[in-house]
Parts: sequence; C-alpha cells; structure tokens
Amino acid sequence: MSVSARAASTARPRPSTVSAQLSAAPDLPVRERQPELSERTDEARPWNVIVWDDPVNLMSYVVFVLRRVFGYAEPKARKLMLEVHHLGKAVVASEPRERAEMYVQQLHGYGLHATMEKA
Amino acid sequence: MSRVFQPHGDAIRAQFAPEEVELLRSLQEGIRTTLEEGDDDDPVIARLFPQAVSGDDEADAELRRLLRDDLLAARRAGLDALLEILDRCEPYRGRLRVELVDEEPLLVLGVINDLRLAIAARVGLGDLDRDELPEDEGLAYRLAVIDHLGWWQEQLLALLEPEDPGPEAT
Repeated sequence: MSVSARAASTARPRPSTVSAQLSAAPDLPVRERQPELSERTDEARPWNVIVWDDPVNLMSYVVFVLRRVFGYAEPKARKLMLEVHHLGKAVVASEPRERAEMYVQQLHGYGLHATMEKA
Repeated sequence: MSRVFQPHGDAIRAQFAPEEVELLRSLQEGIRTTLEEGDDDDPVIARLFPQAVSGDDEADAELRRLLRDDLLAARRAGLDALLEILDRCEPYRGRLRVELVDEEPLLVLGVINDLRLAIAARVGLGDLDRDELPEDEGLAYRLAVIDHLGWWQEQLLALLEPEDPGPEAT
C-alpha cells in the first residue's frame, strides 16, 4: 500500500535494539556495523486508533463496542469512553498499521467515528 | 411505554407495538434506499462511511475505498436480518412478538445504531442546539425517534455481554 511507501521516505530514528548493537561494538569498522533496519521500523511502526465523539452514539454503546472490539475490561473501556465524551476524542489503541486498519474497520462497522493516525 | 426487549430463557424476546414494527420497516427501507442511491455528498453516506485516517488525505481516501464494500455489505446484511426478524413476528395480546437467537441481538443492536445515525445525519443533529430547537414538527418527531430507538439500545445492552458470540463487524 502506498501508505508504507511514504513512511519509508520519512523513516523514524533507528529502533533501540539496533542502537544497542551499535553501541555494544563501538570499535568495529563502520562498514561492519549493522545496516539501518528501516523496513522493520515501518512494519512495526505504531499507528494510534482514535475514537471521536459524536452526538448520537450512546455512552453505554461506546463502552460495549470498545470491550467487544479490543477485549478491554469494563473500567478501561469506561475510562476511554469518558475521555472521548469529555475531550472530544481518545486514543484507544496503538498498533502496527494493518492491525490498526482492522480495528478502524470494526469500529466503523459498529458506527463509531474512528480514525487511525501515525503515532 | 413498555419495554421491548426482555430475557426469555437463553434468548431475548422482543415485543413491539404494531406501529413500532411499521416504524422499523419504513426506517430500514429509507436507509436501504440511501445506501443504494446516495452519493458521497449525502450526509448519511458521509456518516456511515466516515473518515478512516487522520492527517493524511491520500491515505484516508485509499483506506475508505478499501473498506467501503465490506462495510456496505455488512450494513445491508444487518437490514436484511432485521426484515427477516420483523417478518417472523407473531401477534400476542395486541403486540408483535419474536425471539432473537444466536447473533440476532447483536445484529439488531447494530442496525438500530445505523438507523439512529442515519436519522441524525439527515436532520443535521451535530449542528443543532437541543436547547434551542426551531419549531418544526418533523424535526421533533425525528428526534423523538432517535431517543426512542436509543432506549431500545439501552435495553439490549443491559441484556448483552460483550463476550457474547456474534459476527465480528468486517
């Protein structure tokens, strides 16, 4: 998908495991150090799943959907719902891209207004 | 007003007033027409197929394109299931009664939500100040329907556990 291709061009700093390898072998010549694993970064790169407030969905319905889609316990689902309600939106999960897309699809299926956004 | 949804053994029993069944029939017909004929400028279509990606219009357009067919199919399947349930209703003491089994309570919950979203989008609920509504009988009626269907959802939610089996929204 074109989203990954764009992400590759604005790659984030190396993940900490690569940095650890580099710092663990500081006396290796430059050409023998590990290459940047930018592709791995892109696939694992988190996207926030956001639920937005809307004037129709019942608070109890939002809690139900959050529990059903994410498996959250009641207190956590309720806390997120209240954040949506009071602040206008809440980050309900942080996932790799494909999983975030799946969650957005499920949330749309239940009629929630949900988007994903690069974390 | 009496409750519509009540537990009955392992199932949930729905008991509608005849006019409530008529209301549901006409609402599902209306949304079905909108799904078939509405274009992207239709506020109902915009609400039922909303933004999917924030902060990236191109990625948003692409993901919405990818999601649309399955979402449309799932909504139509919900409307079909509702019609089938309404057709199963049997008269009982002046009301129309039907048992909801398996994943039907969850499907009905979702369809009722779609109907409320559609009516609200049609009247532009997000732009209304409910403390200062224009004098408009049609608007008042539609808002009453949104509230009435919301009460039905509360009844269903009180009877459903999130872990209940049912089709995952796809």
